[in-house]
Amino acid sequence: MSVNYQAVLWNRQKKIYDRVLAAGVLLYLIIFIVFGAIVHPNATAEILMIRGFGTASLLLLHIILSIGPLCRINTRFLPLLYNRRHLGVTMFILALAHGILSTIQFHVLGNTNPFVSIFTSNQDYTSLSNFPFQPLGLFALGILFLMAATSHDFWLANLTPPVWKALHMLVYVAYALIVLHVVLGVLQAETQPLLVILLAAGMVWIFALHLVAANKEKPADMQVAELQAEGYTEVCGVDEIANNRGKIVLLAGERVAVFRYDDKISVISNVCQHQNGPLGEGKIIDGLVTCPWHGFQYRPQDGASPAPFTEKIPTFNVKVIDGRVWVDPRPNLPGTPVEPARIGS
Amino acid sequence: MSFDKNDEFYVGYLSEAPAGVAGLIKKVVIALLALAAFIAVLLVVNQSPFYPSLFEFGTYRSFEGVIQEKPYPTLLVKRPGEAGKLPGFSQYYLVSFGKFGAAEAVKGLDGQQVTLEGSLIYRDQQTMIEIVDGSISQVERSNGAAGLSVEGEGQKLGNFTLTGEIVDSKCFLGVMNPGNLKPHKSCAIRCISGGIPPVFAVQDKNGMTNYFLLLSADGQSVNQDVLKLIAEPVKISGDVYQYGNLLVLRADPEKYELM
Ligand code: FES
Repeated sequence: MSVNYQAVLWNRQKKIYDRVLAAGVLLYLIIFIVFGAIVHPNATAEILMIRGFGTASLLLLHIILSIGPLCRINTRFLPLLYNRRHLGVTMFILALAHGILSTIQFHVLGNTNPFVSIFTSNQDYTSLSNFPFQPLGLFALGILFLMAATSHDFWLANLTPPVWKALHMLVYVAYALIVLHVVLGVLQAETQPLLVILLAAGMVWIFALHLVAANKEKPADMQVAELQAEGYTEVCGVDEIANNRGKIVLLAGERVAVFRYDDKISVISNVCQHQNGPLGEGKIIDGLVTCPWHGFQYRPQDGASPAPFTEKIPTFNVKVIDGRVWVDPRPNLPGTPVEPARIGS
Repeated sequence: MSFDKNDEFYVGYLSEAPAGVAGLIKKVVIALLALAAFIAVLLVVNQSPFYPSLFEFGTYRSFEGVIQEKPYPTLLVKRPGEAGKLPGFSQYYLVSFGKFGAAEAVKGLDGQQVTLEGSLIYRDQQTMIEIVDGSISQVERSNGAAGLSVEGEGQKLGNFTLTGEIVDSKCFLGVMNPGNLKPHKSCAIRCISGGIPPVFAVQDKNGMTNYFLLLSADGQSVNQDVLKLIAEPVKISGDVYQYGNLLVLRADPEKYELM
């Protein structure tokens, strides 16, 4: 399969995803604004648009927040995850439209700079029911902007995955801010109980879904996909190693020793500090990897010799999935403790 | 199709998702679209009713009448027919474009006959004109202008204690709908601080709204004093005056009570 061929196919799924998304957003907005104008002829168009964009964005945020846990619960939902970024950017654009229209409506053409006005018109920051709800929305919009702006792979690579991931966890802060923005804003005026019920149902759904997903073991294929993404390499099966013995495997051109003991797997450098003896041909005696040549010993968990000795060899991060041993080819500094992989899991 | 096949594995860059996965996703997507439509309908029908009010945005009419500068700019326009007990004129609030009162626009024109262009804003019996910038021109005082004035502070109707909401008259009368309560609060603060007349909207037993222009006990504007109490339930005790077509509530803003 050529690279070009993949790219074309990749686009096809993406296009379907985006078309369905656009259709859904349009469907919602047309019902909310057009049907809304028919049911409420006295409502001004700006108000219907402000409410339409705002609620569309919030609904989409619920969908976005559901996709992650749904995929952890069942990998069949993965196609939804695959282009989730476009959902995020679309949600941001809807929220931005809501914010711009509201700012024009409520703050422009006045005696104060609109952005100052958002923070200073209502100064009841110590009140609960009267709390200025608009700054909450603006902060949420700022977070959504950061996330939308950094959604491209370029940023994933440049910010490094951990930073990027932390940044994108802020979506939960944004969600909380938006819920407060709604509760302290429009729900102080709109008193139909169903509106509160809908918002509460959304929160319960998101919370419950995350709880269920957190309690569920990730499916093996997802774990594998994640390990592959992190650069792990599959080196051998657990059953290829006898208990308290090692196996030498080739990892990124280097020999490393995989040891099995107490239902655990640890991986250390194959090279003995003494005279480069092959540790993988040694065995575990008294819980210590013992070199076959002259008997130097190392703890399998951290590659260090027990006191009073001070030899240290590199260790490797290891995972076991479905009886297969996966090793991160980047060695840890000699003597770094590594959590052994449990064979049972 | 069967959903028991657990071995299907979706990869985003493949052209087709496996049949089982594709079937499930199709169902989920259709359910989501239906849910979105359903929620849109629910939200449409569960919004509070929108009270009839109108802003003739983009429509400009010509008016001729006499300017009354105090306590807030109004235009007194002769009624075409007999008005019974009411004064022989209609009294329109005057405001400027955006969130500004018309005090600047009518400065020095008190008691003068003018023509002006503007857009109508109205709700219930209350009418307001948003003046087109620079459209006011003074005209020769005609005989018809006789009686187009309100003397002094108007006619005192008595002391009342009323509960209602302080609103900015421009938005509440129709520029925005809804133009009151919490979502509109910051806008009302902008408008009233910008000189739009603050009005006390009081619902009577039948759900009808009564409108009281707010003034201090000595008849001065209270715009900058009421900003903290806008869009909240407030109780005010004060003297009510009939001022032309308007009802005026005079009370010390220090004594407004937050409910
Ligand atoms: S080489 Fe390992 S003990 Fe000598």
